Amino acid sequence: MSSARVTPDQPGERVGATTKNQVQATLSDTRGFRNQLRAWLENHRASCVDSTSRLVRQPLGSFFTCLVMAVALSLPMGLALLLENVSQLGGSWQRAAQISLFLELDAGDTYGELLRDKIAEHEHVAEAQWISREQALTEFQEQSGLGEALRELPDNPLPGSILVTPEVIDKDALVALLDELKNMPKVQQAQLDLMWIERLAAILQMGEQFIFGLSVLLIAALLLVVGNTIRLHIENRRTEIEVIKLVGGTDGYVRRPFLYMGVLYGLVGGVMAWLLLAYGLNWLNDSVVQLAQLYGSEFSLSGVPIEDGFSLLLGAVLLGYIGAWLAVARHLRELSPR
Amino acid sequence: MIRFEQVAKRYPNGHVGLHELSFRVRRGEFLFVTGHSGAGKSTMLRLLLAMERPSAGKLLLAGQDLATITNSQIPFLRRQIGVVFQNHQLLFDRSVFANVALPLQILGLPQDEINQRVSLALERVSLKDKALQAPTDLSTGQQQRVGIARAIVHQPALLLADEPTGNLDPRLAAEIMSVFEDINQLGTTVLIASHDLALIARMRHRMLTLQRGRLIGDGEAV
Repeated sequence: MSSARVTPDQPGERVGATTKNQVQATLSDTRGFRNQLRAWLENHRASCVDSTSRLVRQPLGSFFTCLVMAVALSLPMGLALLLENVSQLGGSWQRAAQISLFLELDAGDTYGELLRDKIAEHEHVAEAQWISREQALTEFQEQSGLGEALRELPDNPLPGSILVTPEVIDKDALVALLDELKNMPKVQQAQLDLMWIERLAAILQMGEQFIFGLSVLLIAALLLVVGNTIRLHIENRRTEIEVIKLVGGTDGYVRRPFLYMGVLYGLVGGVMAWLLLAYGLNWLNDSVVQLAQLYGSEFSLSGVPIEDGFSLLLGAVLLGYIGAWLAVARHLRELSPR
Repeated sequence: MIRFEQVAKRYPNGHVGLHELSFRVRRGEFLFVTGHSGAGKSTMLRLLLAMERPSAGKLLLAGQDLATITNSQIPFLRRQIGVVFQNHQLLFDRSVFANVALPLQILGLPQDEINQRVSLALERVSLKDKALQAPTDLSTGQQQRVGIARAIVHQPALLLADEPTGNLDPRLAAEIMSVFEDINQLGTTVLIASHDLALIARMRHRMLTLQRGRLIGDGEAV
């Protein structure tokens, strides 16, 4: 310890050393950096423990605040996850966006397979499948129920075809690919249901916009919920804040426990939102599986991915922090003394 | 230590708290500020604590001009001042020890040093045995002494007290004043705002008399 240390029996001689640097310099005479760091950490620990115990002492109020946060967080997150799950049906969409190339009747299997291989190498094509005239007839007989009638025909009327699965579902790219494919030799007709693609793209875009709008609204609501809750805590501790400011507490010192409170609300709200989503998706999954089975699909909802869960927690904590910061900043200005 | 030079305080509603007040206080001095309600005693203390700024004039506290002090400097100024309130301003959700330790926690002192200083401060006001009790378990006089312990625990150079004996009977008031005198003996400048003239007269210290914001007397109390 430095000899400049002020002993407990002597009053300070420091009035006038009122700039922050001067005062800090005075303090650093009496305490090493390690002690200052320890004191700073201790102060944070005390603020954190104090904030936690205050929330625990009001279990019902804290629970409902966190529940409101959880519901507000889980709604947009749940919708986003559902949309993500639907987008995982990409394989099915690509099938729906398949281009069917019908070849001329005199195009044999060898030519069809050669053309399939050539198309499969195209950069915008994910997959190309050759369906011979015989295969087409067999499938048509099985699926149409006209097996007997078709057997009476002297010749197979169905052409060989190539089913082209595009790499991406994009209207302009698909139109360009369609034009390219239908100009290939011995291609009689090329088919693509563009209207369906356009509708799907519009539905997806609308879904994304809806989720974005909902998220913005719910984030604003969350900030208000946290801000209002912190405001009530500030009102309850008005005397304490005034005393702290009068004995030399900085705005940062006053703000700290409330920021911890906001972070805690966010953390608990985030965990609850994660649990709600996990449970909700699991509950919904039975119905989705049942519906998908009716369409011959094995589609099922996946749970909350771990990285999405942590993003949710981080977002919730940040929202709690920002909400608390805004509330404290606003109310500190109103509280006397300055 | 303190210099008022033509200090005036006017409020936006037109009320004038202080009229061109001028006086000086030496380091280590003990003085009273007296006057009726509305005389300007509390305004003077609020100016010294930088809770308000002078409307005119120069107010120096150990060389620092409180008219120009920045908001970020104010907490560091207040750490050099101890304040005792008439209504104690204790925090009833924590112990006597925690109340007294508050200024030291704000200073960021290590816990062992806080323990040592709080014990000494409580000993000085004869409340060491009440450290773990809640302020609500104490009498009014004891609560006031806790307030004094909190005001002196960080060894301020200046101690301000606003009607510290306002709610106390004469015996307790004399007891509290003797605590202030003890603190002053150690070198702390003590400024007490009070309208208890009988008590002030018994102590024979310098007394500033205010009336409607003007200084009408400056001399030893008789």
